[in-house]
Amino acid sequence: MGWEQAEVRGYPEFVRAAQRYRGRPIFALFCGDKDAEGRSWCPDCVTAEPVVRKELHNLPDESVFIYCLVGDRAYWKDPNNEFRRNLKLTGVPTLLKYGTPQKLVEEECFKAELVRMLFTED
Amino acid sequence: SVQAHKEDKPQKVMEVNGLTPVPHSYDYDLIVIGGGSGGLAAAKEAAKYEKKVMVVDFVVPTPLGSSWGLGGTCVNVGCIPKKLMHQAALLGQALQDSRKFGWQFTEEVKHNWMTMTESVQNYIGSLNWGYRVALRDKKVTYENAYGEFVGPHTIKTTNKRGVEKLYTAERFLIATGERPRYPGIPGDKEYCISSDDLFSLPYCPGKTLVVGASYVALECAGFLAGLGLDVTVMVRSILLRGFDQDMANKIGEYMEEHGVNFIREFVPIKVEQIEEGTPGRLKVTAKSTTGNQIIEGEYNTVLLAIGRDPCTRKIGLDKVGVNINEKTGKIPVNDEEQTNVPYIYAVGDILQDKLELTPVAIQAGRLLVRRLYAGSTTKCDYVNVPTTVFTPLEYGACGYSEETAVEKFGEENIEVYHSHFWPLEWTVPSRDNNKCYAKIICNIQDNERVIGFHVLGPNAGEVTQGFAAAVKCGMTKEQLDSTVGIHPVCAEV
Repeated sequence: MGWEQAEVRGYPEFVRAAQRYRGRPIFALFCGDKDAEGRSWCPDCVTAEPVVRKELHNLPDESVFIYCLVGDRAYWKDPNNEFRRNLKLTGVPTLLKYGTPQKLVEEECFKAELVRMLFTED
Repeated sequence: SVQAHKEDKPQKVMEVNGLTPVPHSYDYDLIVIGGGSGGLAAAKEAAKYEKKVMVVDFVVPTPLGSSWGLGGTCVNVGCIPKKLMHQAALLGQALQDSRKFGWQFTEEVKHNWMTMTESVQNYIGSLNWGYRVALRDKKVTYENAYGEFVGPHTIKTTNKRGVEKLYTAERFLIATGERPRYPGIPGDKEYCISSDDLFSLPYCPGKTLVVGASYVALECAGFLAGLGLDVTVMVRSILLRGFDQDMANKIGEYMEEHGVNFIREFVPIKVEQIEEGTPGRLKVTAKSTTGNQIIEGEYNTVLLAIGRDPCTRKIGLDKVGVNINEKTGKIPVNDEEQTNVPYIYAVGDILQDKLELTPVAIQAGRLLVRRLYAGSTTKCDYVNVPTTVFTPLEYGACGYSEETAVEKFGEENIEVYHSHFWPLEWTVPSRDNNKCYAKIICNIQDNERVIGFHVLGPNAGEVTQGFAAAVKCGMTKEQLDSTVGIHPVCAEV
């Protein structure tokens, strides 16, 4: 069974998705919200997303990829937002392997090699 | 880019009969065996000079099955978790002191081993990952595999699935470090743990016997006792061999007065399991070193800390002719970290007659690479390296111990200045007023130059670092005296 994808928006939806897939390796990409034209307020997210998507075929079997929009810019800038507080995110984009200290932050997400390493190695 | 590795014999053209050498086409410019403090520092430095580098790192699991990720001893089972657990113990003490400073809490304060260990392991995991990212980002190839020499310029790597590969390089750096020594008594590997297991132990160790009197033994005994556990240290002869004995004894005294039991002049001869469990119950039988007396004791955990041995005996050094000290396993090198085989270098704890410290390995590794690839001539300075022992009462030192100074310069040519001090923070909670201590050793014949600095007290590491720079600059007693103190801090003494 290959890998599965889910798209969520906001912290509560993310938590529900993570719960639903508990027991399977979960990879999550956190990006800023997109406007009506599909463009994110976060320029680094715009750069990172295609790089990450291109590496998805390297995901291990049984794993889940959660694409999560965190909220608008104002929400993200709040130092107490739930993503910062509970998931300890420090920036967007963040690509992480849920439940492990393995993550890539901001410009690290632009590098296909690093994304591939996160997806394929333990 | 795709790394092509050759499964068969490496393709290289050999020099023949002293004719003009043809360039050898090696897989790598440099292969580093061992991904610890020294190895990683060297690899990252070499990558800066656009060299093709590979790091081969593998952790042979402990007898009890513990293993860990990239980063070496310091990061995984040494300095980092040790200092964090030492801090956990200090915080316990601070909580006690806080009542005297007016903090009021009625609940009794207890310690949860699992909570601490999970946090520590999580941090270590982020460091392991950070190293992986750093290596990949700098285009350093990393293989989680056991590396050993199989012939000139050639190593074989074996990963945990048993897959073997061959690689060649123009130069090699051996940075394989050490692992804890086992005494070779019945029950040692089956029932005892070492520092390799302690920091990730998935259950509280309970009543613990620490065997050994090294800094590893005393630091571990210290924080375990600080976390509220019943701790006994079994010492064969002296404490902290190689360190200033005056200071070592003060450390021991402090620990004894603060709840650590010491059994002196005994060695364990047998460990048996009374009951399985996490932790279980163990019976330890020990024999006196000065007579025929035999004693027995029951503990939940036995932690062996009797020394560390270099990982140099099973990496094929004989296949390439690298000399090692047969007795100790250490590798002798010249002052440029080169072994007797010109293209093979070594750094870190495996070196003979050099200090076993992370910053020393890092410095040596970096400077070596700069000499090899950046035309530098700077060699590693192994003199006046500061160290700190993180026992409950911390000890920082730089330079000569009193014994070594007397031996080298003669008792009449050195002057020792010393003082007890009482940290201001200890006054209110009525903590010991005569335990903290500082001493400097001066060379009378050389303008009373400070050749030894020793301090016993809180934050000893922080205090020592600055003074180490001063000692390295050749500070004299007069200069020290004329430096105005910062008040009120311990360092002003």
